[in-house]
Order: sequence, then C-alpha cells, then structure tokens
Amino acid sequence: MPPRFRKDLAMPAGRVLGVIVIALLVATLFNSEAIVRAGESMERGPTRDVVLSIARPLDDVAGAVGLHLPREGLDLAFGQEDKTAEGTELEEGSTAILRPNRRKRDQQSFVQPTPDDPVEVFVTGDSQAEFIGQLLTDALPDDLFDVEIAARNSTGLTNPEFFNWEINAQQEIAAREPDAVIMVIGGNDGFNVLVGDQLYGWQDPEWLTEYARRAAVVMRALGAGERPVYWVPPPTARDEEQNGIYEAQNRAVEDAAAAVPGARYVDIFNTINDGEYSDELTIDGDRVLARQPDGIHFTREGAEVPVRLILRAMARDYEPLRGAAP
Amino acid sequence: VSFPTIEFAAFFVVVFTLSWALMPHPRAWRPFILVASYVFYGWVDWRWVLLLIASSLVNTVAAQVIARTPSQQTRKRALIAAIAFDLGLLCVFKYLGFFVTEMDDALSSVGLGSPLPLVQIVLPIGISFFTFQAITYVVDVYRGDTRAASLGDVAILQAFFPHLVAGPIVRANELLPQLRTPRDPREVLAGPGLFLIAGGLVKKTVVADELARNVVDPVFNDPGAHSGLEVMLAIYGFAAQIYCDFSGYTDMAIGLALLLGFVLPQNFNRPYLAVSLQDFWRRWHMTLSRWLRDYLYIPLGGNRKGRRRTYANLMLTMLLGGLWHGAAWTFLIWGGIHGAALSAERWARERWQGFRMPTWAAWLITFHVVCLAWVFFRSPDLSTAFGMLGQVFAGGPSPLVTFPMVFLTLAAIAVQAVPTRFWERGEAWLVTRPVAAQGVALGLLIVAADAAVGQEGVAPFIYFQF
Repeated sequence: MPPRFRKDLAMPAGRVLGVIVIALLVATLFNSEAIVRAGESMERGPTRDVVLSIARPLDDVAGAVGLHLPREGLDLAFGQEDKTAEGTELEEGSTAILRPNRRKRDQQSFVQPTPDDPVEVFVTGDSQAEFIGQLLTDALPDDLFDVEIAARNSTGLTNPEFFNWEINAQQEIAAREPDAVIMVIGGNDGFNVLVGDQLYGWQDPEWLTEYARRAAVVMRALGAGERPVYWVPPPTARDEEQNGIYEAQNRAVEDAAAAVPGARYVDIFNTINDGEYSDELTIDGDRVLARQPDGIHFTREGAEVPVRLILRAMARDYEPLRGAAP
Repeated sequence: VSFPTIEFAAFFVVVFTLSWALMPHPRAWRPFILVASYVFYGWVDWRWVLLLIASSLVNTVAAQVIARTPSQQTRKRALIAAIAFDLGLLCVFKYLGFFVTEMDDALSSVGLGSPLPLVQIVLPIGISFFTFQAITYVVDVYRGDTRAASLGDVAILQAFFPHLVAGPIVRANELLPQLRTPRDPREVLAGPGLFLIAGGLVKKTVVADELARNVVDPVFNDPGAHSGLEVMLAIYGFAAQIYCDFSGYTDMAIGLALLLGFVLPQNFNRPYLAVSLQDFWRRWHMTLSRWLRDYLYIPLGGNRKGRRRTYANLMLTMLLGGLWHGAAWTFLIWGGIHGAALSAERWARERWQGFRMPTWAAWLITFHVVCLAWVFFRSPDLSTAFGMLGQVFAGGPSPLVTFPMVFLTLAAIAVQAVPTRFWERGEAWLVTRPVAAQGVALGLLIVAADAAVGQEGVAPFIYFQF
C-alpha cells in the first residue's frame, strides 16, 4: 500500500535525526574494520582521505575494546572469510622469490584432460575476469575443461589492506583445487607501496621490484608449479596515464613470471591492436565494439580477443588445444 | 552515489538536517534541495548534471509555451518538440550504439563494407527514468492535468535525489503540490520510512546479492555446465533476485523521501501473488506500467479500436517497454512474451467468458510465464537464454542447490503473502520505541547487512543500467 499519513506512524524530525545518528554511530563502531576496508578500496582523493582519517583511529579504539567481535560472529554466520591480515608475505617479504629458478628452465608438463577427468580451470582476478571467464567457458571444449569464475571487483596487488590476494588465493585454491588458474588482474593497481619505511610510486624502480615480488607471491599462492598459472594483465586503456601504470606493472609481472615455475605471462597489452587503444576491434573480419564506456573493461563480445590469446598460451600446456586456438 | 554506501550515509545526514532546518523558508529550501540532488547525481561525473539541467530547461520552456499560447497548433508543436528532444536524448545515449552495430552487421552481410564507426557512448545513469518523467510532465501540461511550473520546480521534480536514478517515475501532480507546501517537521512518517529503508537494505544485501553470487550468476554464465535442478533454481532465484534488488532500491527511495517529508508513489505491490499477467503489471514496476498505459497504450487507441487493434497495441506497448530497458534482442523478446501473454489472456477471457480457472492454477501459470520472460531478461544474449531453457531437464549433480539458496528464493516469494497490516503494526510499534532503541536496532541491522555482502561490498543495483 502507498504510505499514507497516520499520526501513530509519525515522529518529529529531531527524533528521526537522533535515530539516524545513533544508527550510524552503532554501525560505524561495530563495522569499523569494514569501513577502513571500504575506504582503502576508494579511488585516491579527498573522500578516501576523509573516510580513512576518521575510520582508522576509530577502528583502533573499537578493536581495543572488543567491538569487532559481533561483526566477526556475523561474518562467521554468513560464511565470510577474512581477506585481509597483517604480516603476510604479500605485504612484506624478500625479493629472493624473484631470483631465476632452475625448475623454470625445465620443460614443465601437466596432467592432460580426458572426458573422464576434465581439467578444472579456475578464472579469477578483478572485474575484468568476469567476461573473460564467461567467454573462456564458451571457447574451451566442454568435455575436457570445466571452468569456474570468481571475479573480485576493485581488487589489486597494491592495496592489501582492502583485499589481500595472497590470502584469497590460498583460500580459493584450498577450496577448489583447480588444475589450472587464469589470473586476470592489474586494472586497479598503481597505489603507492610501502617498502621498509619508504613509500614508492609507480614511476620508481623500487615500486617495480615490489610489484614483481607481490605478483610472484600470489603466483606461488595460486600454486604455480603444481598447476599452470596464466597471468593476464590489463590491456591498453583509453587513458594515457593509466597506460603508463599498466606498462610499468606489466614489465614487473613479466619478471615475476620468468622467475616462478608454472607461471605464464599472457601479454594482452602489447599484442591487442599492436598496443593501441581502440573502442572497436575486428574479430574474424567482423567489427565489434570491444570496450565498455570506461575505456578499460572489455565488452562481452570484445573479451573474445584476450580469450584467444589465453587459449594460445594454454595450448602450449594442453595438447587438445593445439591447433584449436584461432 | 548508491544508497547503501558510506558516502551516501554522510550525505543524507547533512541533507536531512539542513532540509528540515530550511523547510520553513521555501526560497532557501528549493535551491538547497536542487543543489543537493545535483551533487548526488554528479558525484561520479559532473557532466551528467549538465544533461539533467538541459532536460529541465527544454521541458520547462515547452510546458510554458503549451500553457500560455492559445494556438492549438503551437501547443502541439511545442509538445512534439519536447518529446522529440527527450526521446532524442534516449536515442543518442541508449540506442545509437545498438543501431550502429546492427546497421554495420546488416551492411557487412550484403557486402557493403563498414562505413559507420562503432563508438562506445557512456550511458548517463537514470536517463531512462528522468526522460520518461520529463515526457510525463509536458504531456500532462498539454492535457491540462497539471499546471505549468517554474524552472526551479521542474528541475526539482526531475532531480529530487530519492527517485532520480531508478524511480519511482513520479508524475508532476504527485510531487509539485508537495514541493509547494512546506512539510511539517513535527510529523515525519518515520515508521514506514525507516521500515522501508531497513527492509530495502535487507532485500538487497541478504537476498538479491546472495542469490546472484551463489546461484544466478554462475548458472547464467555457463548454463551447459549445470544440471536442470540448478538451472531451475537459477531461474526462480533470478525472479526473487530482481524483485528484491529493484523493489529494495525503490523501498529505500520511498523511505528516504518520507524521512524528508515527501510521499512518492508505490512501485511494487507483492507482484508474485498475481493471478494474471494483467494483475502482474498492476503490481510490478507500477509507475512504469501506468506510464506505458497512459502515455503509450491509450494514445495508441487502447482497447477502443477493435479486438485486433487491441492485441496489436498491447504487443507494441510491451515491446517498447522491453526496449526501454535497453537496446537488445533479449529485452525485446522479454517484452514480446509479456505482450503475447497479455493478448492471449485477453483473448481467452473473451472466448470463454463463463470459465473461471482455479486461483492456484492461474497463479502458477502467471508466475511461470513471468519466469520464462525473466530468462531472456537476464541472459546476456539469445544463445544463453535458449541454453538455459534447453538445460531445464538435464541431469547431473547439483552442488549449487543448497538449503540457504532454496530458502532465500522461497522466502523472497512467500513473504509477499504476508498481509500489509502486519508490516503496519511493526511500523507503529517501531516509532513508539525510545530513540536510542530504534537507532541501535537500525545500526545493528546495517552491520548485519554489511556482513551479509562481505568484503566485495554491495553489487550495483540491476536497474542502474537502465
């Protein structure tokens, strides 16, 4: 029924304001951790600064007096796993992980799919993983490959206070035990990173080394070596500054993939349209609108292009795909 | 800004406080609420505000011309110009890309090359809603159903932030009189307002997003990999998801407006209790269906020009209703299914006048026709839609069919049978509690809702894309 005026349902505006303010205070205190995470996920700018400058001290106080407990109980009840933690290797660790690995030089081989035992492919990463995963599902032979997709929107490697990919990778791999992983990530990176006590921006060489180290940590957490991990970086974007970030981080990922056994770097940045951004691409002679209005994400139709490059990379590990990838 | 976000919470506290403080001073309140609504709309991209201002300006001028000129021809020209402008906006932002792509395909298929550049146009959020609202206003002025208003009033009518992004689609004579009379700060309809906001939040976070993540999205992404049982759950689950997503949003919109002292029209009335398609459309997205009826179906002739014409009008109205959602064959088929079912229903009623189908059978048929149409609405393309339907009887394991998902689906549908008076009693009980108790209860509900969606946060509302 449309709301109609009834005196017994009304309250003065001042009391309503009291209800709203108390509700928001209660929500802020009990949810302080989530608010810090939400702040961490925001784009850099004044809103993010304000949210974090209020939420961080509040979170410290709330944590000290045990106000995190009800929320933790609710997370448990809803089956939510924590995706952040302190002291993980992703945030702090040795660059030794980037040293060339002898096993990397050996020809690695993986169990080949059969109709009785298809290969379980796990497609994950940021929002770009969604359409790529869907198109990959269509492109891979149904009887030989099963695809699962779990896109984690707005995530990256340079913001572990919001979403820690090392933890998430460990949780996902333990739960799904895939035979191969496609990791589509990088579109939300470019945040400054802390190395020791020093902050570095994406134009600093230290940032590149740190990004490569983090990529290598996640590749390992995804089980590279036991299974192939195909790392798919972002493609060229419409925005030139964004392309600068992508170019830098892609070099870092390439270095990481060269050091981690089982990791394969699928270059969709330099290869699609020769690294030139375009809203449209030609697939099998047909022009398609390949990019979404944001100038970063592929459309469903456009995702066909990176999927073909992924198939080509997979064909090196999986015999039945050889000759199938266009 | 979406409602369930930190930014909006902070925005609303400020707007609520200032709005009631300025309410006794209409000359200050009007620019304030207009600027607040523009801030809300322009948060992501301020250029969209310019579009909104242009729309208000053009429609105000047209309505003033219609109201002031005695010449019927001039009135008609002004009306046509305003409607052409409004539909032009929709065509450019919403349909041009689809048209160019289809045209390009057609030309390529006959070997005429590719003369048209494919361009990606950013769709301003809520454009379908505010352009329909603008059309409503000028047509109502033309018909004499409402008086021509000042530019400020028209701008507020179009931009009032609770309904701006995804409705309800408000008529001028529903909101303008309220804008002209200061609201009474001693009597804010807090019971229904807070109840609607809390209910909308739960519908969205606990039901819609959970169903989407755990059943609907995985199955619609790859129907062939799922059993018939999973496909059926995904179809029923999507029926529950879209209801909770869309009605959850409009519940929050209506609730927020109530807290500011304004009553917006109802948009949903327990739609899955409908026992005919006609009944369904009186309960589902009610402000769109009455728009289609009053500004399309009746002007086309409605049921006044013979049986065949009535069926044709029904079909055309529903096809255009489908296209309103987006330029895609899936939406067109969704509209076509509803148009065909409405026509068939009408034909059957006239053919077997004495026959009354048992209510349970009528409900069952109606619900399943609606679900069939949802398959096309949800699918990204026709092959997925047919893939879903072709998979309904497939066997195999069904790990996605879990108790929580079945429960959520059934609960979202069954809760509509709860009588309205039950909720009203809850609202009356709520407002008699102490302020602190109400605040703590609402605060804890927000914490629970946030825990339900987890770290990924609230997914965008489905109707934001329209």
